Amino acid sequence: MNKPLILVVEDDPPVRNLITTTLKAHGYRYITAHNGNDALLEASTHNPDILLLDLGLYDIDGMEVIGKVRSWSEMPIIVISARSEDRDKIDALDAGADDYLTKPFSVEELLARIRVSQRRLNSSGNQSSGTVFVNGELKIDYAAGCAYIRGEELHLTPIEYKLLCLLSKNIGKVLTHTYITQKIWGSTWEKDVASLRVFMATLRKKLERAEGSTQFIQTHIGIGYRMIKVE
Amino acid sequence: MRYRKITKDNIHDHILVCLSSSPSNAKIIGTAAMMAKAFRAEFTALYVETPEEELMVEADKRRLAENIEYAKECGAVVTTVCGDDIALQITEFARISGVTKVVLGRSSVSRGGLIKKQSLTEKIIRLAPELDIHIIPDSSIEGKRRKKHIFSRKSLISLIKELAISALILGAASAIGFGFHYLGFTEDNVVTIYILAVLVTSVLIDSKICWALTSAAGVLLFNFFFTQPKFTFLAYDKGYPLTFIVMLMASLITGSIAARMKKQAKLSAQVAYRTQILLDTDQMLAKSKNADEILVVASKQVRKLTSRGVILYPTWNGTFGEALIFGDEEERIEEYINDDERAAAFRAYENNIQTGAPGSLYSAECMYFPIGIKDEVYGVIGVVPGKKADPFEQSIMVSIIGECALALENEKNIREKEEAAVRAENERLRADLLRAISHDLRTPLTSISGNAGNLLSNDSFFDEATRRQIYSDILDDSVWLISLVENLLSITRMGEGRAKINKTAELMSDVIDEALKHVNKRKTEHRIKVSLENELMLANMDARLIVQVIVNLVDNAIKYTDCGSTIEISAKQDNGKVLVSVSDNGYGIPDKMKEQIFDLFYVGDNNRSDSRRSLGLGLALCRSIVEAHGGRIWVEDNYPRGASFCFTLQTKEIEINE
Repeated sequence: MNKPLILVVEDDPPVRNLITTTLKAHGYRYITAHNGNDALLEASTHNPDILLLDLGLYDIDGMEVIGKVRSWSEMPIIVISARSEDRDKIDALDAGADDYLTKPFSVEELLARIRVSQRRLNSSGNQSSGTVFVNGELKIDYAAGCAYIRGEELHLTPIEYKLLCLLSKNIGKVLTHTYITQKIWGSTWEKDVASLRVFMATLRKKLERAEGSTQFIQTHIGIGYRMIKVE
Repeated sequence: MRYRKITKDNIHDHILVCLSSSPSNAKIIGTAAMMAKAFRAEFTALYVETPEEELMVEADKRRLAENIEYAKECGAVVTTVCGDDIALQITEFARISGVTKVVLGRSSVSRGGLIKKQSLTEKIIRLAPELDIHIIPDSSIEGKRRKKHIFSRKSLISLIKELAISALILGAASAIGFGFHYLGFTEDNVVTIYILAVLVTSVLIDSKICWALTSAAGVLLFNFFFTQPKFTFLAYDKGYPLTFIVMLMASLITGSIAARMKKQAKLSAQVAYRTQILLDTDQMLAKSKNADEILVVASKQVRKLTSRGVILYPTWNGTFGEALIFGDEEERIEEYINDDERAAAFRAYENNIQTGAPGSLYSAECMYFPIGIKDEVYGVIGVVPGKKADPFEQSIMVSIIGECALALENEKNIREKEEAAVRAENERLRADLLRAISHDLRTPLTSISGNAGNLLSNDSFFDEATRRQIYSDILDDSVWLISLVENLLSITRMGEGRAKINKTAELMSDVIDEALKHVNKRKTEHRIKVSLENELMLANMDARLIVQVIVNLVDNAIKYTDCGSTIEISAKQDNGKVLVSVSDNGYGIPDKMKEQIFDLFYVGDNNRSDSRRSLGLGLALCRSIVEAHGGRIWVEDNYPRGASFCFTLQTKEIEINE
């Protein structure tokens, strides 16, 4: 498998060094940008596979970069933020980012996020038009409206099935509460967010019933959910 | 120091001048304005509206308007109050507004009728002995001017009525006199009947002229009917002129005493009534917990007193609020809530003057009284027009509103004081926190920068094991710094105000999973167990903050127990609450520490852990977070050994939207 090209946008040199050293150590190809305008230039000329974007840039706002990149490319964007408020992350995700990392992050965490985006790249390449979705032991037959785990049919309520489809179609991407409730219920009441938590919990229980089974759905507290691509 | 104090007192002087329609009033206003300037005092011009207002002629009204205008030009704040007792209104206003000096015209002093009456100045001195009173000499014709208007149309009617009453009484007295005469009693008895008649008259009627006329008429009637020769105004007996004089004197004196007693009785009844109402109001105001309640109490008391509809316009932080109605449906008070009425009420609010009521400065159907002290107006009370405005009632009303304003000012002062105290306390905590943190930050930073510097310059001298030790030290110290920063961020989130905590329904299992991701990962030689009574348990919380609480509790448990110890996180439903506990099987916590362990900067005398690593921050933060969620946190002994930290949260029941 070809190692992807990663564009690192970070204005702080030590953190940029940390990221590039890590990437080099793990055999990734990378290019760097120090500010938003450079980032847009690099992104358009080199067309990288993954974008690592620091939100706190000094020239243009990171959110603007996301918006511009999204206007021509679906490349996975991982946002790096030093702000502790959830709101920033949610806004970035709703603007089109796939994932987020909060400073301080560990090197392992960074690599894990990159791997998740990489898998999304690969899966979108070979599954884009299929009516059957396969993720490890999970199989969803969109045409038949059925989901199977280890070949066994799952008994899901209509809402659970809708949730599962929504997550699988956006595999690897963190979906915010607002996005999900909007898609499922068409509204974003607080009540819906609470119900969403319960539905997610029951859905996860059904998916991950067996002891030591793989985790399919990640919870991001205060932000949303994501389906992980299982190797 | 002393000098400064004196000047400060001067600044707090407040001069009050009374407005009237008198032509000399302008001179008094001018003098008062000069005084205010000299003392650098606050300056208020007060106009007391009396019931006689309606009798004022056009020229007087115009002069009054001119005087009011002049007072404004002189820099006075013009205020109007209503009532029949001018002295009482002035002292009442002075008390509420903190007036220190009152400026009066000489003319106001020389008002007196047939019988010696207390002058305005004397009255004011009696009611408010602490006031400085300045009298400006002036040769006014005020006394005459007032007399001129006594015989207006209205008083003429009442005079005729009273004359009729006295005629009736005298007629009755004459009839009884004839009866006595017929029974053969002497004339002396008849004299007493007439004196009795004058006594009765003076009790029943108010007019002094009428009562003097009755006395004279009594004497004449006695002369006409009962002295020889009868039915003439002649008297043969030499003693009669003396009898007449004595009779007249006796009549006049009894009459005047009776009239005075009557007036006194009426006054004392009024005073008692007034005291009672004000006492009730005071008690109710004292029980009120906040500004809104105070306004409602005042409105209800005014409604009770006047039995008329009351409209309240409260003000909040400088905004003029919507009208609140006090009254019954059939009174149709809503009709009085329109733009014109609101404008009049707003004038009252803006200028701190009484507005509304026909003929007043700003006309409207209702009368509007500002609830305010000095520059601060807390609301406006409107009274719907009703039967007849009783000046006495109105003066009580003004007192109630004054009490209300005082109560509101007190309330505001207390609130501001409390807020200042809270701010000071927060400030102190912040300072303590900063001091503690900046001190404790130095140690790990020294280690990190020193170690990194060493690696940079002497890398080749270190063997593999030393290098690994240095790397792990750097990592340890920075991880410690990260957890400190997380706690600090939580503190600032909390510091932004408890009201800002954004609670949503969260799954306990998600929250605990998230917390475990952040637990100090290098120390996973401990066994961490999670037991949830119900996988779908929801609790209301700010997830970030509660995650921080669990992280702190678990990190503590890891820190203070030996490797291989078991830490159990459990959550269960308990009495409508979610009870979360983090238990270990370590050494437990001595009873004497249990009380203080959640105090800020409490470190205890625990030597088990590296003392530098504890700031006494974590548990204090846990407590403030849990308390801000309306929960409770405590520590108890774990069975058979160890400690158990427990806290409660509110559960959340939801309906599922399928």
